[in-house]
Amino acid sequence: METLSLLMEGFAGALTWQNLFWVVLGCFLGTAVGVMPGLGSSMAVALLLPVTFALEPTAAFIMFSGVYFGGLFGDSTMGILMNTPGQASAIASTFEGHKMALDGRAPQALATAAIGAFVGGFIASGVVVFLAPFLAEFSTQFGPAEFFALALFAFMATSSVVTDSAVKGLLSLAFGLGIAVVGIDGVTGIPRFTMDSPFLFDGISLVTVTVAVLALGEVIYFATIARFQREGQMIRSKGRPWLSKKELREAAPAWARGTAIGLPFGVVPAGGSEIPTFLAYGAERKLDRRRHDPQFGKGAIRGLAAPEAAGNSTTGMAMGALLALGLPISATAAIMLAAFRQYGLQPGPLLFERAPDLVWALLASFFIAMVVLLIINLPFAMVWAKLLLIPRHYLYAGITVFCGLGIYATSGSSFDLLLLLGVGIVGFLMRMHDYPLAPLIIGMVLGPLAETSLRDALISADGDASVLVQGPIALTLYGLLAIVLLVTLRSKITSRTKRDT
Amino acid sequence: MSHASVSDSSAPAPWTDAAPSSGGSPRSAGALLRALVMPVVFAAFATYLLVGMLVMDVPDSVDFPGPRFFPAIITGVIYVLVVVQIITVVRHWSSGTLGDTDDAAPAIFSWRSLIWVIGGFLAFSLLLEFLGWILGAALLFWCVARGFGSKRPLVSLIIGLTVSSVAYIAFDMALGLSLPSGILGGGF
Repeated sequence: METLSLLMEGFAGALTWQNLFWVVLGCFLGTAVGVMPGLGSSMAVALLLPVTFALEPTAAFIMFSGVYFGGLFGDSTMGILMNTPGQASAIASTFEGHKMALDGRAPQALATAAIGAFVGGFIASGVVVFLAPFLAEFSTQFGPAEFFALALFAFMATSSVVTDSAVKGLLSLAFGLGIAVVGIDGVTGIPRFTMDSPFLFDGISLVTVTVAVLALGEVIYFATIARFQREGQMIRSKGRPWLSKKELREAAPAWARGTAIGLPFGVVPAGGSEIPTFLAYGAERKLDRRRHDPQFGKGAIRGLAAPEAAGNSTTGMAMGALLALGLPISATAAIMLAAFRQYGLQPGPLLFERAPDLVWALLASFFIAMVVLLIINLPFAMVWAKLLLIPRHYLYAGITVFCGLGIYATSGSSFDLLLLLGVGIVGFLMRMHDYPLAPLIIGMVLGPLAETSLRDALISADGDASVLVQGPIALTLYGLLAIVLLVTLRSKITSRTKRDT
Repeated sequence: MSHASVSDSSAPAPWTDAAPSSGGSPRSAGALLRALVMPVVFAAFATYLLVGMLVMDVPDSVDFPGPRFFPAIITGVIYVLVVVQIITVVRHWSSGTLGDTDDAAPAIFSWRSLIWVIGGFLAFSLLLEFLGWILGAALLFWCVARGFGSKRPLVSLIIGLTVSSVAYIAFDMALGLSLPSGILGGGF
């Protein structure tokens, strides 16, 4: 098998002392940020993005994957112990997970979550290894019209599916697209919306916007509003975090089902692992109701196992979609895409040909990250919870300093710091008024791709718009998009009528 | 910096510096204004794009979907969505259900924290190259900690200086990122 030998070479590349150090460091940092209540994995990745530019690409991405997965592990730890999920994707596992902890089964809950995340992530990484080359091969058939359809799919799905108000989601998206058009036009070389300021000729840096929206805006939000909201008490976990044979038998099918539910969502640009975690939770609850002795509501181990596995299997697959198609399905994946670009690499079909060392070392490091995370999370969850002892004001002050550090180090100008502040304030206002932030990031990352492919397609067809809806791939994508939107609309209407009656 | 003068002043507890935000009732003008903040920000942004498109020099030789094409779509979409959002907000407001939607006012909003954090960052941005990283970042740290209701300014200052110095050693000296040394660097 060619894939296996490539993967083995990847392991050889990833298992050097240096790279091993970066993946372990990434896992530690990711878990640490994920454990902090209110801080999720996307904030961790955003904060670390500028700093990794000091590293060479392979090391940087290996560290990133550790941070990404580590954040997911950490998110659920706090969701279980404190009922404060760090990220939307950890909400579904909090329901039953926290009840288990209240019931005195915190160690079992932590173990179920950690093993579930491990199983989901490990299987997904395995699927990615074999699927990604095919996906990359397939996407070489994509022309401008297909890429435009793909971008449009990502735009519509992220801004309408997950969010409560489609108008707010679309506004956030359009804002991101608007930020992305500032700077010199890639096709004609004409400066756009720069007010003749040389600071804006290169456009507004995605790094600046990401850090502003996901980190600085969050700090302002926490300082002015969130820190006054009541917080749950942390439940202490006593005893060895291990599962009895009975519990393992109980959880195993749920891990498997969760993983299966999560996998396909990794290639659907619909906002990441939020939907699959809820779907997995819902499926387990339905199955549970048919049993003699329903467990849901009393701390059902399956209600925790399935969403954990689903969340990580989606995340793992999402990395595959990112590498093979260049398609980010969540804000975190969008940041990773930005990081690739910063190194002059364009994820997508060509990446496998141009930088095979990096791709395979990165894929191998997913497996290593999973093992490292299982080791540092399973027995030591309560050690991580000690991080909560850091006083909140120093923690957030440190985060703010880190924002400034990252942006100044990458841009070297005070102008970018002011831009960071300005966008951060907008991000804070959006957060306060419940505007989703992921569409903004995705719009900014995929905006240039959408614009160039749209214009290329139109120019090559002399302005004939029908070129956009020709070809089986583009038509399939639009068909899928229509189905996704209809299903969303239906579920929104039914949930509204349910609420009213 | 006047940290000494505030070090002994009785810093208010985080709970008391935040007044319950005004305009809590869903029918008040304050609630309406608050819900309209974001639509106004987005409309302003769309107008910036519109003006930018009007003053843009595009030679006649450029083929049809030129540099204005995509921004024009975005601008149009933003204006339409802003109008939809404003209509939604006003309808909720006049029927008294604004509080039921996401735009409900937060129970507590601390203007004081807002000013400390934003002001601190603004000062940091403007003074960084003069003060240098170590002093500038310590100032930022101190202001944000203050905005979060830290009650011991001197301790904050020491921790802030430690954090900024460690960051300087780790990122400037070890990892080779470039941070300004400012007045401490002897660059005068």
